[in-house]
Amino acid sequence: MDWDQLELNPRIIASVRRVKLKSVREALCVSGPDLQRLTGLSRSDVQQLKTAAAVACRRHPPTPAVLLQGGYSGLRLSVGCPVLDQLLRGGLPAGGVTELSGESGAGKTQLALQLCLSVQYPAQHGGLDSGRSSTQPSTVVWTQVGPVPSPARWSGLRSIPSPPISRSSILYLSFHCYLGQRFLRVLSILALIHGSFLLHSSTARPYHPSHATLRAYHPQASTQDVSECASLSCVSLQDVLSVCLSRRVPLLLARQHVRLVVVDSVAALFRSEFQASDWLERSKQLISFSHTLHTLSLEFNTPVLCINQVTDVFSSDDSLGPVSGAVAPALGLVWANQVMVRLMMRRLQGTVARGDQSSTLRRLEVVFAPHLARDGRDAAVWREGVLGVARSDYNTRTDV
Amino acid sequence: MQRSVSSLSLSPSVKMKLVNAGFQFTADLLHLKPLQLSKEASLTQQEALEVLQTVRREGGGGDEGGGGGGAAAAAASASLTALELLQKEEEMKSIVTFSSQLDAALGGGLPVGKTTEICGAPGVGKTQLCLQLAVDVQVPQCFGGVGGQVVYIDTEGSFLLQRVVDIAAAAVQHCSLLVEDDEQRVAMETFTVETILSNMFLVRCHDYVELLAEVHLLPDFLSEHPRVRLLVIDSVAFPFRQHFDDLSQRTRLLNGLAQQLIAMATGHGIAVAMTNQMTTRLSGGGQSQLVPALGESWGHAPTIRLLLHWAGSRRMAAIFKSPDHRGATVQYQITSEGFRDAGQSEQPPSKRPRTQSVEPAGSQRDASR
Repeated sequence: MDWDQLELNPRIIASVRRVKLKSVREALCVSGPDLQRLTGLSRSDVQQLKTAAAVACRRHPPTPAVLLQGGYSGLRLSVGCPVLDQLLRGGLPAGGVTELSGESGAGKTQLALQLCLSVQYPAQHGGLDSGRSSTQPSTVVWTQVGPVPSPARWSGLRSIPSPPISRSSILYLSFHCYLGQRFLRVLSILALIHGSFLLHSSTARPYHPSHATLRAYHPQASTQDVSECASLSCVSLQDVLSVCLSRRVPLLLARQHVRLVVVDSVAALFRSEFQASDWLERSKQLISFSHTLHTLSLEFNTPVLCINQVTDVFSSDDSLGPVSGAVAPALGLVWANQVMVRLMMRRLQGTVARGDQSSTLRRLEVVFAPHLARDGRDAAVWREGVLGVARSDYNTRTDV
Repeated sequence: MQRSVSSLSLSPSVKMKLVNAGFQFTADLLHLKPLQLSKEASLTQQEALEVLQTVRREGGGGDEGGGGGGAAAAAASASLTALELLQKEEEMKSIVTFSSQLDAALGGGLPVGKTTEICGAPGVGKTQLCLQLAVDVQVPQCFGGVGGQVVYIDTEGSFLLQRVVDIAAAAVQHCSLLVEDDEQRVAMETFTVETILSNMFLVRCHDYVELLAEVHLLPDFLSEHPRVRLLVIDSVAFPFRQHFDDLSQRTRLLNGLAQQLIAMATGHGIAVAMTNQMTTRLSGGGQSQLVPALGESWGHAPTIRLLLHWAGSRRMAAIFKSPDHRGATVQYQITSEGFRDAGQSEQPPSKRPRTQSVEPAGSQRDASR
């Protein structure tokens, strides 16, 4: 921020310039007496300087909470099932990071896929209106680390034909025919980094672009774009995600086409990249990663869902949480401190049947959330998706 | 009383020149003209003019008796006897937490005029306690409350209006059941969910610079709104646990922040409640321990520290630093109405059934709304 924009005595601005204080934010990070010594200004001048800097840096003055009513604070993304929505009091909150953890096969990815659908609905049906007209592309940014969901999982969800299997690291889903040039460019640049990606849309065929293909596909692609691809292709997955999260995703979010970010899964990303002895580095990266997600979520008022794995709990005097079972979400306290809403999905004993389908019983539980009770609902995974079950639907049930 | 030149609010170089020229006290400067001063102390005209203006403004005039050693100086270092301090402290009320056991352990509730830190693992109830305090500070005085407003600084995004409305409605309900006389009846008219929300000033900070900016500008806000009795920062740890290249800078910033908060608490007579996270500390022998985050030096900043933790499936609150109270541990619970005593269920359904079976709490709650 420019010093000239502040309403200050020119003398003060001149002495600040002389000392080469880099930005207005710097002025707040240096204490009063230090600033006095640095600039040679008097105490009242420094006070004025800091006040002007503070006014410039703050977002908004304190506002009465009553003005929040009906605004963005109440925005929720429906999960697609009324029983589960009741548990979540509307759905996922739009301003923070939600974590969904569980054992493998519990149904986490299935639930996340369902969210990708419901985000497209208009607001009155619980969505976030991200599927607008058919001329505008609407997407969900899905960052997948680990195996791609198999076609069997996809085939039941409405309006998504099954994509061919391919190991990919980033999967962008587009539910409309039109894909802007810009989107394709972003996707192909990322594809180059990973060597392959899967693009699904109802018109485009999946493909694995190379340098030449990129050029051919985008004749307007500048040499800078290509060299950018080349330079990014040899860094680690983690760096790519940070670049992706710090540059590409904010662009997409700012244009308001994307209204949901899913990371599947956070644990795989951090567990694969770091050795056991690198835990300090891992903590630092984890904090910066989660901070970026959190900032994105608050800036653009978008729900962020992170899928997490679980680890075994050995000692029972773990004072991190109430004694709840043999497993706890992975990545420890560092990650848990960054999460606003923590959900857990468990497989239960017993099955439930409906019509000609039967499914193992699951349970979606709220571990903690600022606005939710610690409660749970039973659910099952059907062809149509993850739906909560009311008690009357049970055929066999065993309490766990 | 003579006031020395070095206590004036001038730039250090000017003060050096004045002292070197032999001017020790402000009384020496009073009868000089700017031209004379600039010659004697080798200052520029502009600087000499500033010095004389400052002296006149702050010096107060040595002619007005010894006590006129600067009204500003006198106010800044007003001395009180211990008896006066005791009387002042007894007048200070406390903010109830609606958990009678915790209130008893704290000697009435969260004390006004002091800084309190609430630390705990994620999900144990720190934000719930902060929201409860933000509602309780507004309880009218005829019910034993403080009747003040609150400034709520939210750095994590966990201030969700849905929950605040729940807690506010429960508090209004609780108080309306206690109405005994006319004064309380009249007070209840101004104690509704709407007014509770309108007396809560919310600030959202996304990083530590915004937090520092907000705290810097708070004294002015507090002077404009003298009814504010509580400042909540939820949480202090979150913005400061980003990656800091220079950890000593973080310590300096935190110390500065702590000083400002203490100054606001005592100067404006407000209670300051801050939330902190927990971190793991590895001690020798491979043992790890949960300790409050932000380091050892931050531990000295708050006057009172509360630690919320789990003991099995029970939530416990422990006072582990306090100059006035014994270290006590009490059990509490979080219900749909907010922060309450354990084992207390004024109005069913309670949010957390003590047995493992799941009560249809959700559906009952919806039905009552």
